[in-house]
Amino acid sequence: MIPPELFEFIESGVSVLVGTRDARLFPDGCRAIGARVEDNGAGLTVFLPDATSAGVRANLEDNRRIAIGFSRPADHRTIQIKGAVTRLHLADDRDRECIDRYRVNLDESWSMVGVPSRFTERAAHWPAWSAFVRVEGIFLQTPGPGAGAPLGQESPK
Amino acid sequence: MSGASARLEDLSACFQGIIPAIIATCSADGEPNVTYLSQVYYVDSRHVALSCQFFNKTRRNVDENPYATVLVHHPVDFELWRLRLRFQHCETEGELFERMSMRIQVIASHTGMSGVFRLLSSDVYEVLSVERMEGFLAPAESELDLAPPVSSGPLTELRGVQLVSGRIARAPDLDSLLRGALEALDETLGFSHSMILVPDDRGDRLVTIATRGYGTVGTTAEAMGRADADTRESDVLGADTHSRGGTGAEVTLGGGIGAEVTVGGGIGAEVQVGDGTIGTAAEHRHMIKVTGMGSELRYGRAIRDRIEECGDAEGLSAEIPLPGLPDAQAQLALPLLARDRLVGVIAVESEDPLAFDEWDEAFLQILANQIALGIDRMQDEEEQDSGDGEDAGTKAETEVETKSQSTSTPTAATPVTAPDRSLETHHAFVYYPNDDCVFVDGEYLIRNVPGKILWKLLREFDESGRTEFTNRELRLDESLGLPPVKDNLEARLILLRKRLVARCPGVRLVPVRRGRFALEIDGAITLEEKECGA
Repeated sequence: MIPPELFEFIESGVSVLVGTRDARLFPDGCRAIGARVEDNGAGLTVFLPDATSAGVRANLEDNRRIAIGFSRPADHRTIQIKGAVTRLHLADDRDRECIDRYRVNLDESWSMVGVPSRFTERAAHWPAWSAFVRVEGIFLQTPGPGAGAPLGQESPK
Repeated sequence: MSGASARLEDLSACFQGIIPAIIATCSADGEPNVTYLSQVYYVDSRHVALSCQFFNKTRRNVDENPYATVLVHHPVDFELWRLRLRFQHCETEGELFERMSMRIQVIASHTGMSGVFRLLSSDVYEVLSVERMEGFLAPAESELDLAPPVSSGPLTELRGVQLVSGRIARAPDLDSLLRGALEALDETLGFSHSMILVPDDRGDRLVTIATRGYGTVGTTAEAMGRADADTRESDVLGADTHSRGGTGAEVTLGGGIGAEVTVGGGIGAEVQVGDGTIGTAAEHRHMIKVTGMGSELRYGRAIRDRIEECGDAEGLSAEIPLPGLPDAQAQLALPLLARDRLVGVIAVESEDPLAFDEWDEAFLQILANQIALGIDRMQDEEEQDSGDGEDAGTKAETEVETKSQSTSTPTAATPVTAPDRSLETHHAFVYYPNDDCVFVDGEYLIRNVPGKILWKLLREFDESGRTEFTNRELRLDESLGLPPVKDNLEARLILLRKRLVARCPGVRLVPVRRGRFALEIDGAITLEEKECGA
């Protein structure tokens, strides 16, 4: 379950990175174009741009395993969610609203670290695919000691 | 969608750390992992190396399953490139490891994590394919949306090399050599912010003796494109912000020039060997380039925050302010080596993260070698002049003595220009012999060997009215503690001269001819020796 205090973080303008793998365990990845928390944190929908996610989607069709990193550019605060994709379909109008809102937030957070709006605005976003993820694990990924540990078990001294 | 392939060497800009890269890996049991990477290093046309600072999930995955996919952005056009990799081996020593380690050392020292945040290994991967991710960016609607072309070319740089080498060859003295070299770098090559530092007498610090682009005496922050000099001065460790305390004046500026830049062009600013870009280049005697400073520092601070959260803050130290430019995004520091001796460091910086490319590194290395050899030659000639035996020195001293006979003071040399000793201006000098530190009118002026030299000159002037001195007599004065060879005396005198111009323009050291200079003093001076804390 995603704890409620992370809902806003996940749906804000953080960078969303997706990792998958094929049947031979060869990894692939792409940038996602936003995410939405579902079922009070039991699930998550992540939006994959059609233009850049062909390999990732093929992997999901094959084995469903997915890792999603959420990283705030300004301070590298990062978490990673792992799970299985149970539904994959073309994004609809409701999803489009999330994607458009995410793009505005992403532009703001990327601008803070020097990425000009002219790039953010041109980044692939539509058409997109909606991948519903059943959450199985949440991990701290902020660089430094404890990175990779399950959230809440980062073993502070 | 897979896209056009490219040669790895054509993507060098992608590896400068300006935009963080992304790595996807997979464990042996089929669990994918994705995260940001701190450093992707170009090794050769078929290999890259990734930095490993923590034995994290990524590293454990590639130990189990060697395949990885890395996504890198081009920092100019933001296009996304996919590298498919196979882990080969890790290196924990050698040239590759040292080069990658230096870059991390710079960030670690700037963020107060020296010894805490460090490179564990350079993980070398074979590059299986390189392809652009087609469709990541929609076509630009206008030319304005396209990134500006990067201008760089061998003809411009060759002319720069020609000009710099010419100025070095013709320079009559060390000051001219340093000034001419930095001017040429600015005028022909666009390196508008540069500095040269030399080792101090203890060898564990570097002292700035020439700068370009940081203002001059009396220059304010506005001249450097900044609005508030006072703010700047208060938020860095400035030499002139320190008051006299019981342990001596501390003028270390960590990574380079700090507050001092706003008032004196940075002359006299010190860098501890091993600290920041400049100190790291001196310690390793290797060129070091750090680009995307903002991104690197954010990454470093994230790690620092995590270390603090985990209760390990005792190993951390204060964050070191960046060198002169408040928004520097790229820094390049090159050691100046004459044979195996470090004669200084030249550093350039820019607010443009892409200011320095591989070509810049190559020809700056050539120029650095020329400057180093020029400094070495100057020192040889200087010492040869001084050591031209007793004849040259005796002759000079005889001249002085002959002139002095016509003055009212038997032991004094004839002043080159008559000092204005009116009481309208007055400077109070205080010397702290414990650390050879000189203050003027309550403000720190200079220390170490240049401090001792100044005190000697002022005392002789005060006691006998003497105003003309020779380098040779300074070398022969054992109380000054100059080393017997390669004493760097000329560099110390340049530093002293420039510090006086910045801090006390009423007292000047004026070169008379090679190896001889005059002390000019407007108004009156008082001299006092004090113990630390007195």
